[in-house]
Amino acid sequence: MQLNVRPVLSALARNRTGAILVALEIAIALAVMVNATWMVAQRLHDIRQPTGIDQRDIFEFAVAGFSTQFDYGSSQREDLAYLRSLPGVIAATATSAIPLTAFGQGDGIRRRPSELSHQFWVRSMQIDAEGLKTLGVHIVAGRNFTATEVQPFSPHFSHLASEVLVTQSFARKLFPHGNALGKSIYGSTDKPMTIIGITSNFFGSVIDTPSYDGLLYPQEPGGYGDYICLVRTQPGKAAALMRTAERHLATANPNRVIFDAHVLEYYKGQLDAQNRNMVIFLSTVTALILAVTCLGIFGLTAFNVSTRTKQIGTMRAVGARRRDVVSYFLTENAFVLFAGILLGCILALGVGSWLSSAYALPRLDPMYLALGMVILAAIGQLAAWHPARRAAAVPPSVATQTV
Amino acid sequence: MIGYYCRLALKSLRRTPGLTALMVCAIALGIGTCIVTLTVYHAMSGNPIWWKNNVLYAVTMDSWDPLHPFDSDHPQLPPPQLAYKDATYLMQSSIPKRKAVMTKLLGMLTGAPGQTLPLRVWTRATSGDFFSMFDVPFEYGGGWSSAADQGPQPVIVLSKEVNDKLFGGADSVGRTVLWDGHQFRVVGVMNAWHPLPLFYDLIDGAFNAPEDAFVPFGWVRALQQLPSGNMSFWGPSRIVTFQDLLASGAVWTEMWVELPDAASRQRFQAYMDAYWAAQRRVGRFQRPLNNHLTRVSRWLKINGVVSSDSRILVRIAFAFLAVCLINTIGILLTKFLRGAPITGVRRALGASRNQVFLQHIVEVAVVSLAGALIGLALGAAGLGAVRALYTGDASYSLLAHFDPVGVVWALALAALSTLAAGLYPAWAVGRLPPAVYLKTR
Repeated sequence: MQLNVRPVLSALARNRTGAILVALEIAIALAVMVNATWMVAQRLHDIRQPTGIDQRDIFEFAVAGFSTQFDYGSSQREDLAYLRSLPGVIAATATSAIPLTAFGQGDGIRRRPSELSHQFWVRSMQIDAEGLKTLGVHIVAGRNFTATEVQPFSPHFSHLASEVLVTQSFARKLFPHGNALGKSIYGSTDKPMTIIGITSNFFGSVIDTPSYDGLLYPQEPGGYGDYICLVRTQPGKAAALMRTAERHLATANPNRVIFDAHVLEYYKGQLDAQNRNMVIFLSTVTALILAVTCLGIFGLTAFNVSTRTKQIGTMRAVGARRRDVVSYFLTENAFVLFAGILLGCILALGVGSWLSSAYALPRLDPMYLALGMVILAAIGQLAAWHPARRAAAVPPSVATQTV
Repeated sequence: MIGYYCRLALKSLRRTPGLTALMVCAIALGIGTCIVTLTVYHAMSGNPIWWKNNVLYAVTMDSWDPLHPFDSDHPQLPPPQLAYKDATYLMQSSIPKRKAVMTKLLGMLTGAPGQTLPLRVWTRATSGDFFSMFDVPFEYGGGWSSAADQGPQPVIVLSKEVNDKLFGGADSVGRTVLWDGHQFRVVGVMNAWHPLPLFYDLIDGAFNAPEDAFVPFGWVRALQQLPSGNMSFWGPSRIVTFQDLLASGAVWTEMWVELPDAASRQRFQAYMDAYWAAQRRVGRFQRPLNNHLTRVSRWLKINGVVSSDSRILVRIAFAFLAVCLINTIGILLTKFLRGAPITGVRRALGASRNQVFLQHIVEVAVVSLAGALIGLALGAAGLGAVRALYTGDASYSLLAHFDPVGVVWALALAALSTLAAGLYPAWAVGRLPPAVYLKTR
């Protein structure tokens, strides 16, 4: 096919405004589309990040007494004995934090007692020997706590244990060049705590963003004025067993309340809500912006076709085939698309670097930009296809007709 | 004349129903998206006590670790809370017109007539000035006096919700309830009050509801109540007993003061700085001088209340509106140029360029207005969808409530759209030479 680019350009030059507007639309659409898709990819990654625990089959409730004489130690021992006796329960533990929620504690950790201040901040949990089994977390190196190592409840703040477990992620952070197992670390006191085991990574309680850094103490909780019962059940039984347990325990001891009972999957949903909302909003706006841009391209080509009926007839009369007419309009559209995408490219990179500097987002992956350009070019040509076909249907006789 | 133009506009729009629908839809989508994002942004960025912005101050002192700042992302900021001993010292000052120290507790309410199950309530232990300082509305009774702070006397203020639950909404002032097993006398019942954001304590969630019960701060010490809000320590500590906690440098109380003028503000700042210097000599406050009295608006800003997601979404919504408007400009241009022969006749009959311009701008305004109305409906529906996404998160669904300001935005955006989309096409059509179009007929 022989196609002269010159007449296409001169036609474009005669109807600049429409072409410039559509090119601008394409540019903004590309910039939004590419950056929005990039953000969606980040959010989906965050949502899909494994929690490391079996949140579907774990339920939780909090227990608080309301008199100064309330015995947290015996209360939790009774609760655990009851929970472990329930058919369908695999394991249960009493702890001081609810995984996947902001409810919990953090500790500053030093590697040497001589260090004046804490170098590492980490989310911590108090659990017993059944804690890991309850969470669905396994030992990667070393060993789990034994029942005798678990310190009985005491109404004091400081941790009494001399053995601790850390997650793989935190172990690597503490000792990047060596094995953390068997090493001593220090909390707020100068008493050494020995790392007796390293566990698989999991999300404990969450401040701002979830982290795999975690520290576990063998300690009966309650020192903060309440404790959490975590219960792992056989698959699918968590919700039903939670109701059973809640009903029984609410009346078993009149000096306390049971509250915040939930299957952990609920908190996973809460944790993802912000990301999910962002994904839905960004995808919707991207789809809409693409649709509106296609309409713009469609409208421009349709307008060009309708105002040039006579010229098309003349082209056809002097020998242009139907597909020459189609390719004429598609070429014209391609110029507009090219200009728009080029401008959009600059805009997208600008927006991307502004987003990463202003909101500390990861830098835009050029692959997304390349993909966005290809997709927009394809959809843009598709949008011009129908009006271009209509142009090809103009009969050559139009050239000789007078209006 | 405008009425006539409106009739002309409707007539012209009816001639091309497809194009009209397209333009209205584009503007409606753009405005609807903007309303959803702006509503959430507005709710997040609001100052719930703007009328006292220039007299209320959050009190902060940098008592943190000399080697590391409290927040490594914002090393210039002191901790948002004070140590108990610092707050109690600062509370002795008579410089502020009003002052309140506070912390968050978890308590059990029992003993109301007919109550079977204990009610777990978030409780704020604070000073009597809290209520007058923050203009808290009361349904029955009121706050407590400073004498009650000194005792502390067993007085309690309940939220409307808790009073509805325990007393069926009746006037419970003078009645007695048990808070954690101790007798407290109800002195006030608040009216519905939910400042967004919860400016006085942003740590546990800036959009949480206020606490359901309020007791004098002195009860923290008297009942040895562990705070259930945020508590942060640094450095080697030997906190074993409750007395250790009170004497420690752990930060877990907030303090607000009302300083009516610049003079009192300077005096209070000097008072803080003098205390800082004296404490520094005995080994505390080893970080550089960083004592602050922070206004509410700045307090909300430095605590990062508005999420960056919300800012990004507003910008994306406006980019989308821009695309919609550019699209509309294209359609209008096409449409107006097609109507050029008619315009040519009007011009030939004596209509001036200005009149032609005005006539077309009116047409664009009609389109924008229709777009704004549908956009409002879309925005309300979109907010409903956002609320549905956040089931279970009560505070966020409060943020996504359609507020009347949305109507103002829709109208403002419609006016902006009219100008942005209509100016050029209306101007271009007025500049066409009428003779050409008369000839072809």
